[in-house]
Amino acid sequence: MSAATADDRAESIRMIRDSAAAVAPPGADLGRIRALRFTDPGFDRAVLVQMGEMGWLGLRLPEAQGGAALGLGEACALAEELGAALVPEPLVAAMLSAAVLAAAGAKLDDVVAGRHYLPLAWQDRADTLDIAAGRDAPRCFVPMAAGADGYLVPVREAGRLALYRATGEARIERTQDGGNLGSFVPVLGERLAADIALDALLDEAALLSAAYLLGGMERAFAMTLDYLRTRSQFGRIIGTFQALQHRAADLKMHLAMTRASVESAAAALDAGATGDARRAAVSRAKARAAEAGLLVTRQCIQLHGGIGYTDQYDVGLYLRKAMVVANQYGSATLHRRRFMATAPEGDE
Amino acid sequence: MDAIRIPAPGELDALEDDQFRHVVRAFVHAHYPAHLRNPPKRLHWAENQEWYHILAREGWLCPGWPKEHGGLGLSPAKQIILTEEYERHGVARCNDHGIVMLGPLVIQYGTAAQRQEFLPKILTGEHVWCQGYSEPNAGSDLAALRTEAVLDGDHYVVNGQKIWTTLAMDANWIFLLVRTDKHAKKQEGISFLLVDMTTPGITVRPIINLELHDEFCEVFFDNVRVPKANLVGQLNKGWDMAKALLGFERIFLGSPRQSGYALSRLKLLAERMGVADDPAFADTYARLRLDFEDLKALFGTYVDKLKRGETLGPDVSMLKVLQTELFQRITDTMLEIAGENAGLLEPMEGNRDLNLGGLYIQARPATIYGGSNEIQRNILSKNVLNLPG
Ligand SMILES: Cc1cc2nc3c(=O)[nH]c(=O)nc-3n(C[C@H](O)[C@H](O)[C@H](O)COP(=O)(O)OP(=O)(O)OC[C@H]3O[C@@H](n4cnc5c(N)ncnc54)[C@H](O)[C@@H]3O)c2cc1C
Repeated sequence: MSAATADDRAESIRMIRDSAAAVAPPGADLGRIRALRFTDPGFDRAVLVQMGEMGWLGLRLPEAQGGAALGLGEACALAEELGAALVPEPLVAAMLSAAVLAAAGAKLDDVVAGRHYLPLAWQDRADTLDIAAGRDAPRCFVPMAAGADGYLVPVREAGRLALYRATGEARIERTQDGGNLGSFVPVLGERLAADIALDALLDEAALLSAAYLLGGMERAFAMTLDYLRTRSQFGRIIGTFQALQHRAADLKMHLAMTRASVESAAAALDAGATGDARRAAVSRAKARAAEAGLLVTRQCIQLHGGIGYTDQYDVGLYLRKAMVVANQYGSATLHRRRFMATAPEGDE
Repeated sequence: MDAIRIPAPGELDALEDDQFRHVVRAFVHAHYPAHLRNPPKRLHWAENQEWYHILAREGWLCPGWPKEHGGLGLSPAKQIILTEEYERHGVARCNDHGIVMLGPLVIQYGTAAQRQEFLPKILTGEHVWCQGYSEPNAGSDLAALRTEAVLDGDHYVVNGQKIWTTLAMDANWIFLLVRTDKHAKKQEGISFLLVDMTTPGITVRPIINLELHDEFCEVFFDNVRVPKANLVGQLNKGWDMAKALLGFERIFLGSPRQSGYALSRLKLLAERMGVADDPAFADTYARLRLDFEDLKALFGTYVDKLKRGETLGPDVSMLKVLQTELFQRITDTMLEIAGENAGLLEPMEGNRDLNLGGLYIQARPATIYGGSNEIQRNILSKNVLNLPG
């Protein structure tokens, strides 16, 4: 990133937010999202291509690699907008694939264009940020694997992490949000790199997942405020009951903390934080977003009463999404622990 | 286990509580259909009538009804033991509105003719009931209900709409709170009416809930003619009758069994995830476990009151709040430790005991129905603490 002024950055983030309207039009209903739920592959390939055309999948890549060379501030703003609209196309996973291919120096135009979805299959167990290394170890929890055109698989070789293209017969499990996760035993194909560093890229994905959660909880909260302003019981608008006003005020504080956490983490990384400083910033944001995302969406259901417990009413879709995204790229517990292990001393 | 003789239904109420507990265990082992254990979702009549009919055949269907009406005549304490043991075994809930709500109401307030007409048909499963109280604009403020019944000769003509009616699609009868006097104070113009759901003018429309299950419904009434004889109790006294039933509902909803079940599943999940010995998890678990133990102790004091024949005051609301919120915190913890499994639609590893996402979602409405927890807290602050306002 060049030394852009604060105003330039704010403008660039605003533009990215506006551009999100191409896929997530403001005020649009969630009809498209509902129609894709529990189908295969669970997202619309044409929209993934559109996201490629918008430059989103290569947003973080240098211009020389066909990217837009934008910062995490912009990437988080985008993820947040798509989270607010519950966009099921795997933005975070596809951005991660593009970044991994770029790091490997491999051909990446099909992935950056959204024509191929090649998720990175880096996990061999739940709730971890450790990269699976075994050549034949089954990989699991691959997001939207029902739409994968193949996989990127890291393999530990002679103390280094190599990257392969791989295929595999995936076992698909559906998720609460209508998407899916896949597990498979990799059949390795072409070796794309002999030595690749993935930690920083996974951290970016974790931060983007926090931003996606933030967008969802903001929207669910906005819907809930609308409801508190219109629903009436006992001859009064329920938003006049102080018990509910206090609950809403509490949720607002959770949102404010989450936004501060995500945005400051993005700023720290954009300012060049690496190593433990980067890990601590990302973990702080993801720990906050995972916990608050679940809490806020739960409370939104409660504040709606019976209507909140229907599938037809949109607020429940946000609860289901939070159930899926909260623990992706590490749960709150994992990130709290990692924060304590990496946070700089004397910063208290 | 097989050494235990199962006494005749009429003898159950005389057993010591401990002995009774063993008898219930033996009973479910002997009779409960294995394929219905721990269903991941609430069952429909088509699936659970098998169990309903077994209970009916064995004379065990109506634990709380007096013996002379075909029930077991069990004390509330024994009824709680019964539900605890059912829960322990993974017994699915029946379509029980007739058993738990309508039957006791008809026994207490119905005429001899109504008892004769309706009680035997619950006991055989010929009538399956649902509860039509809530309306779109009358939820927490139930007394605002507007579905009206207007007398026309020998019939009431019912018009309006009910909502959130659990398992209405399975029911052939519905008990309604209806407005019979539009000019009285709102609680004083409400009556209790029994309606045959095959009567022309009734439309039932299922609603898919957050579990993606068609468990509740909207029920529409368009000039539905209901015989006058189906009014229970006095005209415009329906509110008081319905309220009298709520006491037992609150202690039932406050029973720690639901949390006990969830806690055992949390433990299993923790072992499966390899965090059972993790100090941070162990402390979280210990806190939940102690909440459970103390809730059991508190619950026990209410059961003792019932044993002494005392009536329960509004403070019973504490049980409902404590139990439902503990249940929720246990399922919240499940999600926290499950990693990516938290987002799975189906039970983890195909194991019904690891249905974490399902339990997390099922725990949500517990703080909404039966008087939301906000309403229970209002009751506690006003009617127990006597705070002004
Ligand atoms: C799973 C499920 C099954 C059900 N089954 C049945 C059934 O079989 N038959 C039937 O008749 N009904 C049934 N209900 C309906 C249930 O009784 C109502 O949902 C409940 O009374 C709440 O009403 P509501 O949904 O209209 O919410 P509202 O009353 O609109 O409440 C919305 C929010 O406002 C809060 N609130 C309302 N008033 C106050 C206040 N004075 N102070 C503070 N907060 C307040 C509530 O707590 C809630 O958070 C069922 C509901 C559920 C979820």
